[in-house]
Amino acid sequence: MNYDRADLLDRLAAEYVFGSMTSRARRRFERLRVELPAAESAAREWERRLMPLSQSVPPEAPPPRVWQGIDRRTGGARRAETGWRAWLKPALGFAFGVVATIGLLQVDPGALVPIDDIVQARGTLPQSYVGLLTDAQNNAVLLLSSTRHGRTLSVKRLRPQDVPAGQVLVLWALPRDGAPFAVGSVPAGDKAIIPLADEAEKLFANVPRLGVSLEAGVPRVGAAPSPFLLTGHCVKLW
Amino acid sequence: MADVAHLQSLLSRVALGDRKAFRALYDAAAPSLFGVALRILKRRDRAEDVLQDAFVSVWQRAASYSAAASQPMTWLTAIVRNRALDLLRGDTLRATESIHDEETGETNEPPDDRPDPLGLFEQAADALAIRGCLDEIKGPQRQCLALAYYHGLSHSEVAERIASPIGSVKVWIRRGLERLKRCLDRPT
Repeated sequence: MNYDRADLLDRLAAEYVFGSMTSRARRRFERLRVELPAAESAAREWERRLMPLSQSVPPEAPPPRVWQGIDRRTGGARRAETGWRAWLKPALGFAFGVVATIGLLQVDPGALVPIDDIVQARGTLPQSYVGLLTDAQNNAVLLLSSTRHGRTLSVKRLRPQDVPAGQVLVLWALPRDGAPFAVGSVPAGDKAIIPLADEAEKLFANVPRLGVSLEAGVPRVGAAPSPFLLTGHCVKLW
Repeated sequence: MADVAHLQSLLSRVALGDRKAFRALYDAAAPSLFGVALRILKRRDRAEDVLQDAFVSVWQRAASYSAAASQPMTWLTAIVRNRALDLLRGDTLRATESIHDEETGETNEPPDDRPDPLGLFEQAADALAIRGCLDEIKGPQRQCLALAYYHGLSHSEVAERIASPIGSVKVWIRRGLERLKRCLDRPT
């Protein structure tokens, strides 16, 4: 399908936002949203346009258990914070140092807001996908992580990176058996979030390696990556 | 509904980890969002799950909210609708499920289906002063749009519901969306 056609993208965005797409078509469009800025902006336009239709739906107060669940899952009930959490962070931070030194991966919980929240709530590291990307000199540059079923990838930048004007850093997944696919563009800053087109499990289950390249823009579906500036392993943390 | 500037300021505080702002945002937005999820999912337990997941995601993603790109309720409604539609289309909610959920004992019946989707659509059209503009969208076509948007029905489900060929439903929805676009984008 030729996604260069603005009218086709607009129609897909309309049906996605409107809600009449099948599950498979929704997944496909969510990937497009990540990969094609034009798809993302078309979807935003339709969200803006159609949202007023939802205003005629009568509001209904949710039961208190909904907030209680949210509060628990976002680490609001921090009764134990001064107890175990005080030593958990440095302990895991230390573990990170040790493990990273011998070339494996571990998560520094302070680096990752969503995972940090889960650690707080549960006291354990969640099942996650983790990637540590290094440059040609083997310096660790990016630490990536997502919970197993999460739809966001947390990015911690360990070394600054220069990005020439007009170019973007793009993260690629290199599947065990298949062509590399673009996961999304890597935002600037020490910490960032990359939205995922699908659950991490769906995207990364068969992806042993990751790469980051400089591209003129977010690549089209099926495009091949430019030479990688960073590469690294993608591993399951369970 | 809370005003845009208030919700924007709450969201920016949520992005900084302010739990009081998070609670205030929930109080302001959750009833509308719960209503939207309930219409799509028809089951309170499912709608509660969607609302809970959506707010956990808001807590985690508030920093990525861009006031320039969308208004707060637009952003929040999109999160809730997308989660509700994913759940509706997912493996967990098949038509073969029994009427009574064994775990909760709750029924699959909508808690309150009034006004029906068509009624909601017409109310919205009145509120937005686009009823005249939408006049050329007639009976079954209007019903298609209302069922797809408020109940999250896919083309084939709409076709089944209104006993019309799926080809017609696809065309009606596509033309209906084109018309809606023209009406909703008119300068008021």
